[in-house]
Amino acid sequence: MLVVVTGISHKTAPLELREKLALDAEAALRVERELATRAGACEAVALSTCNRTELYAYAKDSLAASQAAVACLAEQAGVPVAELGPSVYSYSGDAAIAHLFRVTASLDSMVVGEAQIVAQMKAAYQGACEGGCTSVVFNRLFRRALEVGKRVRTETSIGERPVSVSSAAVELALQVFGKFRDHVVLILGAGETSELTATYLKAHGIERILVANRTYAAAEELARRVGGRAVPFEDLEGQLGAADIVVASTAAPHVVVTREHVERAMKHRRHRPLFLIDIAVPRDLDPAIARVDNAFLYDIDDLQHVVDENRHEREKEAAKAERIVAEELDEVRTWLRSLEVVPTIAGLRDSVEKIRRAELERLGNRLGDLSAEQRAQVELLTASIVNKILHAPTVRMKEAAGREECYLYVDAVRTLFGLNGSGCAGGEGERDDGGRGEGERDEGARAADDCRDGASGDA
Amino acid sequence: MEHVSAIVLWVAFLLYCGAFAMVLVAVFARHEGFNRLGLWLVAAAWALQTLAVALRAADAGRAPVVGAYESLTAVAWSVALVYLVLELFTRVKAIGLYVLPVVIGLLVAALVGYEAPRELEPALRSDIVVLHVIVMLTAVGALYVAGGAALLYVVEERQLKRRHLGGVLGRLPSLATLDRLIFHATLLGLPFLTMGMAAGVIRAETFDVERWWFDPMVLLSIAAWAVYAGLLWGRLRADWGGRRVAWLAVVGLVLMLVIRFAAVPYLSGFHTYGS
Repeated sequence: MLVVVTGISHKTAPLELREKLALDAEAALRVERELATRAGACEAVALSTCNRTELYAYAKDSLAASQAAVACLAEQAGVPVAELGPSVYSYSGDAAIAHLFRVTASLDSMVVGEAQIVAQMKAAYQGACEGGCTSVVFNRLFRRALEVGKRVRTETSIGERPVSVSSAAVELALQVFGKFRDHVVLILGAGETSELTATYLKAHGIERILVANRTYAAAEELARRVGGRAVPFEDLEGQLGAADIVVASTAAPHVVVTREHVERAMKHRRHRPLFLIDIAVPRDLDPAIARVDNAFLYDIDDLQHVVDENRHEREKEAAKAERIVAEELDEVRTWLRSLEVVPTIAGLRDSVEKIRRAELERLGNRLGDLSAEQRAQVELLTASIVNKILHAPTVRMKEAAGREECYLYVDAVRTLFGLNGSGCAGGEGERDDGGRGEGERDEGARAADDCRDGASGDA
Repeated sequence: MEHVSAIVLWVAFLLYCGAFAMVLVAVFARHEGFNRLGLWLVAAAWALQTLAVALRAADAGRAPVVGAYESLTAVAWSVALVYLVLELFTRVKAIGLYVLPVVIGLLVAALVGYEAPRELEPALRSDIVVLHVIVMLTAVGALYVAGGAALLYVVEERQLKRRHLGGVLGRLPSLATLDRLIFHATLLGLPFLTMGMAAGVIRAETFDVERWWFDPMVLLSIAAWAVYAGLLWGRLRADWGGRRVAWLAVVGLVLMLVIRFAAVPYLSGFHTYGS
């Protein structure tokens, strides 16, 4: 069994393609389930942010899993697999876990050190967890990943000069306005990114925040949280006339603000500079707005420039974060291997024990004239032989559990003793007997029960 | 004394160049310390320039604003003063980036066309001429600063529009700052320009210069005045955005440079004294 990750990110795919592959919560769950049926993945998590769409699976055959993942993504987006091909990357085993940790630690983000990815990863994991798509391995792995994200943020200064998508936007706005005095911000869309951006702007001295959303109640709710005012979504032009900064991150599948909107609003606003940031995927703001005088429009890809600047300065901190990732990776690798070893040992013991019992039963008639005490002696003798024979292999395997070649042992033992049917590591099959297996199962069940509580503790 | 003054001015010029190099390092290598060093160098250079101008004035026994060498030096001096005041009293980043090239350019022009101090012509021995010259130098200093800010605005706005953000972000003054600088410098410069032109007209009338209104320098000056007046009017009363105001300031700067470096020495019929 291997962890496999397949996906596209800002490093491999342009915004146009990422837009198509973006998954909402519902689609994510659909893809996760699809992956389970198609590739026999025991556990699956789909992560979709504006910069990446990735499918994590715990499966037997990494190649099959990654192919199935590509097919799922292509189907979901309505794009031929061939078109997706060049943009897709896939890692399996340790590389996949390392990738997961690096993503959560925001080392793979467009803006290294940005804080949003932890929340996005948490949401992706929670969605999968509540949909019953995760179990022992992913419950532990993703919680570990969230921990890594947290550790990296607290133990390094990678996030001290915040340059997430939102704060990069704020930095850009400052280049136009110099200092926020009585500037007005218009937030379009009441999502999490909007809230984050509003909070950022507020921290930089913006006092007047207008929130517009198709659902007025959601706008009111966000306005209440950020200390702004909800305004009707229909009066977009009037709001554009009043605002200096527009942050668009609606979930609308089409353009919300057109060039004509902005041109007309410019007259109302006496041609004061209008700063527009489009952090929605698909985009909310018509790219043609950039050609309007005194209107400054930036979308997610534009922020890449800002990011490159800061990435350079953060290299040192990133190196520290990489060390943390490596450390955590070591730990989780040991655990994952033991996860394979323990059921194998249990399976081996079970299988031999079954043979012993069967043989004893078969001999039962012939031992008829033995006394109860003598029977007990035979029982003890056979059990002792079995234990003695199995002792060395058990010890050797446990020793190997933390090492690279542990897979070889597991494979050899399973093949030699015919222990097939290693099902999902969710606790089925041969796990039931081993004490450790039972424990794992408990943990799995517990994790599934409290995935929301447990994960929210990472906030 | 004349040579001492010239040598001191050369040293001041080199210090300005050094200061500009420091400002470049400060802006492009993001090293704040160099900006302060540059400011100190400018202060030292300006002090030396003041000394040079004073020596020259003492030597000639009159205000040192006669001829190209002296007047260009005086403009450079006033621009540097504006820079020091702005840098000390505002927290605008990287003013030196566009002010120092102006100072250095003016000094290069002055040093290239060096001339010995000469006697004041009878035609210029008048209070109103002294007023005219001083007021004009102030106006030109302020309007050059506005023009420099406008050039930077135009470049930065273009970079922002084209999304070449790397070189711009956090290094150059913000657009709003430059916009304010253009406005304030023009607001300072235009009244002085008006006064200076009025003094010139009065002088021309009292000396009965014929057809003075038809002189290229006068016509260009009126055009420049109209551009700056339009800029202020547009900025205050009409819906003119930062970009248009910046372009007007650039146009104004071009006109001012044409007047100083083409119209006055080559085209004007009566403004060329002593050549």
